[in-house]
Amino acid sequence: MSGNAIKINVLLFGALREVAGAGELSCDLTAPADVAGAWNEVKTRFPNLEKFERSALFAINEEHARKEEPLKDGDTLAVFPPVSGG
Amino acid sequence: MSGDIFEITREPIDKPGLEKRLLTGAAGAVVTFDGVVRDNTKGRRVVSLQYEAYEPMAVKEMRRIGAEIRGRWPDVERIGVIHRFGPLEISESSVVIVITSPHRRVAFEACRYAIDRLKQTVPIWKKEIFEDGEEWVEGQAPEVSQ
Repeated sequence: MSGNAIKINVLLFGALREVAGAGELSCDLTAPADVAGAWNEVKTRFPNLEKFERSALFAINEEHARKEEPLKDGDTLAVFPPVSGG
Repeated sequence: MSGDIFEITREPIDKPGLEKRLLTGAAGAVVTFDGVVRDNTKGRRVVSLQYEAYEPMAVKEMRRIGAEIRGRWPDVERIGVIHRFGPLEISESSVVIVITSPHRRVAFEACRYAIDRLKQTVPIWKKEIFEDGEEWVEGQAPEVSQ
């Protein structure tokens, strides 16, 4: 990895966690990185998650985030299905 | 605002306790929404529910809803939201929302708003356990609103 390598923490919830068989993983990315790139990396690791491509939602450091938002070293990216609380 | 309550818990929700913690002398109305586990969905018999939460973010989103309510209804006196997670039986409370205000109209409106927003933004998911299988409940995909 070059000096541009960053490491992020990824959390999966609900059906995504169950399908992946993992709730937490760390992900090495190359800067500049964004949510979409990290999500691609996660799907490479867990190809079964491809079926959530259209529905998956994201949060960076506990704030809702869009796919084009940037990620920096040490960020926590959460990926989850549309919420169904209540 | 100090005095408001936003919590995620694995324990059964103490509804009277929450109302009591929020009741101040200035309140003339207490409106409580109690969401409970229903025993059927689309004709299928539900045995129990399993809730999962992204805890720290869920509390943050609840606080955000509280701030939205204060922006819309400045007369609201106190706001309380407690959501439970883990396994829940039929008729148990999954979420309790309490709003107090000097007069009833504001408390009714704010309480309705709180549960509607919670279902859109708070990162909690439920799985229905049927007699013959289980299924995650599909939330409606919202537009990300920031």
